Amino acid sequence: MVPINAAKLETASCSGSSRRFGDLRGVQWRIDLGILPSSPSASIDDLRRVTANSRRRYAALRRQLLVDPHVPKDGSSSPDPVMDNPLSQNPDSMWGRFFRNAELERMVDQDLTRLYPERGGYFQTSGCQGMLRRILLLWCLRHPEYGYRQGMHELLAPLLYVLHVDVERLSEVRKNYDDHFADKFDGFSFHENDLSYKFDFKKFSESMEDDNGFENSSAKASSLSELDPEIQTIVLLSDAYGAEGELGLVLSDKFMEHDAYSMFDSLMSGAGGGAVAMAEFFSPSPFRNSYSGFPPVIEASAALYHLLSIVDSSLHNHLIELGVEPQYFALRWLRVLFGREFSLEDLLLVWDEIFACENTKSNKTVDDESNFGVLESPRGAFICAFAVSMILNLRSSLLATENATVCLQRLLNFPNDVNLEKLLAKAKSLHALALEANNSISLPIQSGPYEGRKSTVTRGHSLSLDATSPRTPLNMVANSYWEEKWRVLHEEEENKQGAVEEQVPTRKKGWSERVRLRLSRTESDPTPSKKNERTKLPRPSVRRSLLEDLERQLGLDEDKDIDGQDSTEVNGQDVTDKNYENASSAAGSEDNSSNFSDATDLIRGNSDNENESERSSVASNSLIDENDAESSCGTTNPECSSLPISDPPDGLSSKCTQNDDSLEKLLVGAKERKLLSGKFQWLWKFGRNAAGEGTSERRSAPEDAKACNGESDQNNVVAVSTADGCDRSSETSKGETVDQNLMVSLKNLGQSMLDNIQVIESVFQQDRGQTGSLENFSKNGLVGKGQVTAMAALKELRKISNLLSEM
Amino acid sequence: MEIYEVHDYLRTVCPDLHITRGEYDEDTRYLETKTLTIGQFKLGVCHGHQVIPWGDLESLAMLQRQLDVDILVTGHTHQFTAYKHEAGVVINPGSATGAFSSITYDVNPSFVLMDIDGLRVVVYVYELIDGEVKVDKIDFKKTTTSTNLTH
Repeated sequence: MVPINAAKLETASCSGSSRRFGDLRGVQWRIDLGILPSSPSASIDDLRRVTANSRRRYAALRRQLLVDPHVPKDGSSSPDPVMDNPLSQNPDSMWGRFFRNAELERMVDQDLTRLYPERGGYFQTSGCQGMLRRILLLWCLRHPEYGYRQGMHELLAPLLYVLHVDVERLSEVRKNYDDHFADKFDGFSFHENDLSYKFDFKKFSESMEDDNGFENSSAKASSLSELDPEIQTIVLLSDAYGAEGELGLVLSDKFMEHDAYSMFDSLMSGAGGGAVAMAEFFSPSPFRNSYSGFPPVIEASAALYHLLSIVDSSLHNHLIELGVEPQYFALRWLRVLFGREFSLEDLLLVWDEIFACENTKSNKTVDDESNFGVLESPRGAFICAFAVSMILNLRSSLLATENATVCLQRLLNFPNDVNLEKLLAKAKSLHALALEANNSISLPIQSGPYEGRKSTVTRGHSLSLDATSPRTPLNMVANSYWEEKWRVLHEEEENKQGAVEEQVPTRKKGWSERVRLRLSRTESDPTPSKKNERTKLPRPSVRRSLLEDLERQLGLDEDKDIDGQDSTEVNGQDVTDKNYENASSAAGSEDNSSNFSDATDLIRGNSDNENESERSSVASNSLIDENDAESSCGTTNPECSSLPISDPPDGLSSKCTQNDDSLEKLLVGAKERKLLSGKFQWLWKFGRNAAGEGTSERRSAPEDAKACNGESDQNNVVAVSTADGCDRSSETSKGETVDQNLMVSLKNLGQSMLDNIQVIESVFQQDRGQTGSLENFSKNGLVGKGQVTAMAALKELRKISNLLSEM
Repeated sequence: MEIYEVHDYLRTVCPDLHITRGEYDEDTRYLETKTLTIGQFKLGVCHGHQVIPWGDLESLAMLQRQLDVDILVTGHTHQFTAYKHEAGVVINPGSATGAFSSITYDVNPSFVLMDIDGLRVVVYVYELIDGEVKVDKIDFKKTTTSTNLTH
């Protein structure tokens, strides 16, 4: 027994088995697929024996099944002509089998002639085609329940190819290290030192050198152990004198067909007990014990979408709404294991990763009703994770279109110039998630794999978050990039509400400067007019620009933290545009795809906390800006370029009082909320401060706007500083209760927002002495332009609040 | 012109069709004899009413030598026969429909399937006798150098 030189001990990503034959894909894949023993202690001899046995099996199968009806089997008894004539209807007749085989062969040939035409140099040779044909025929004959389906040949071709590559490698090595392979003993003699032979020996050694002369660099190692470890392995694997002799040559040209058959068989049948059997993807009938009653490939596509919904629910929803069902593109992806989406070399890398994952089904005693069969094994989970990673790669272009056909086109014509490492890395990161995803399904899979689930998926997701709180992957889930965005937006909405109550007619100068610093040109903006200046603008435009500024800030903050994330500002605009569907469709940019993985990783890191604090502080800033826009209090603070108010101060004071009332209402509500995460603490403190200031305001009963403003300015400063302080001190804990609170608080906020809007409107009406509807305002010539735009702004806010309360 | 209907029908069954003129065919489109090569074998087709005495082996063998074919396919007698001699094989598949013949009593419908595979011919004979299909098989092998046929 030759000791194994475990040179290539890289740990595989999924299963952790040693990749000791990392450069010999044929051998490594055979190990991964379970044909060769995978334990690190298996010796070369063991490998050889197993190889030999599997080859024997194939040879027997071949002899048995590839039947020639002309030749009588045993020679003695020719079959009865009545039974065995070509027109015999008897299914057992040799001719019957012959014709069935011929039919099968015809179908196989149809596909084979079109296999990898761009690599026809290998795949279209008659030898290769013959092997492929026989392997496919035999497999289909062996598994008549599956028959031959288009696509099986594409699973087989790369397997044969890697064996071929190995054999070529072997012949290279053989060329260089010939003396280890060939039995060249002619030159060997014990009489080297005998003078009478000296001349002959010299001549002979010269001739020897001539043979190997051109390979001067090759090591003339005299012993096996002096060789490079990897060369050593190759030599041992192909030593004709090893175990099982020639049949045991692990890398052998002669037995490529046999080996390819075993690999194909293992891949298709799931290697006995494995969860992912590719053959299942070809069968139209449901799994043996299918939970959903759907064909396995449909179920697997659904699993894919399920994983996507966990990772990126906005993209998932977008695709669902467009009606892009997963199986339209996933069928092809899954059936040939992405063979059509990548070039052969890339595909080999992908399959390296897929096969490295173990295929053992994890025996989770979970509720059998709603499990995805494909996710039950690490390999299946990786396949799903990789598919999701591919979808995410196309994220921006998918979100950019509202047309289902275009989406599908994008998915079906996967770009050739993708960064494969990134895809694989992303897939690995999603892998753990995928494995856990099975547990988070709490939905029974109804009829129609996707229609019934459209609305319930997102809800189910939030339910699952509650139900399975301690699981780490769900923390990862909550930390997913777009989840963050969503939650941040909600917070900002809340804060906006809080600030509305907060009577803050003006801002301090420092504020506006800080805000101005944060402004920068953003790419696209759905609102037509967009002004960047914030100083001394006429009121209507200021009002709108302030709204826009709010949007920009919401987006900007993200921009500051993560480079080139354009869609973030889109998210901000979402909130104000009150059109959540157009989240990124309008402004999705192509940079997203490249930055996406960076961004997600970034989010996942420590930057989280920083982002949180910064965002919330900016949010508070912007909220207070917003409040300025809303309030019709006489803000005559020139520094902040807020609205020059034409309302009389008494209106201001009345509003102030009214605002205080509603503020207190809100505060009560705020206290009632269970504020667990640090994120909310600052809001609470903010509100509390506001209450304190508010009461002081009432007490002071300001009669001029400035005083009022001044007070509220102080308020803001205090609030902001506390907010900042709170945030930086508090850790953001991504608890599930956050979401629940969000919902509740959002509803409350929506309601209070409505109240305040009504208050403001009533103020207007009072001022103008109008009893008509809001529309009359605009028609009234006496009404200043400012009033009209104020009303418009209020209407927008009303819509926001409606949406919030609906949530 | 029923002949064309039958012709067309047979064409739909298999596009590769070879017809020779029968006793009452007036269409000059069909030849008296035809030769073709299938695999390693040369086949000759002739209706047989031209060769007298009808169904006589020696005369047919003469025709076979004339056409220089290994297998001669004839008819007219509406009776299945298969002769083997030193120069080759003469096969008369009989009548597929069992049509009346003035020289044969009790015509049994019969036909022949020839499986030509390399140097070997397997002839399957299907006959309807007393309402039952009987199948028989005959093997012929051809040696490469000569046209001698051995069983």
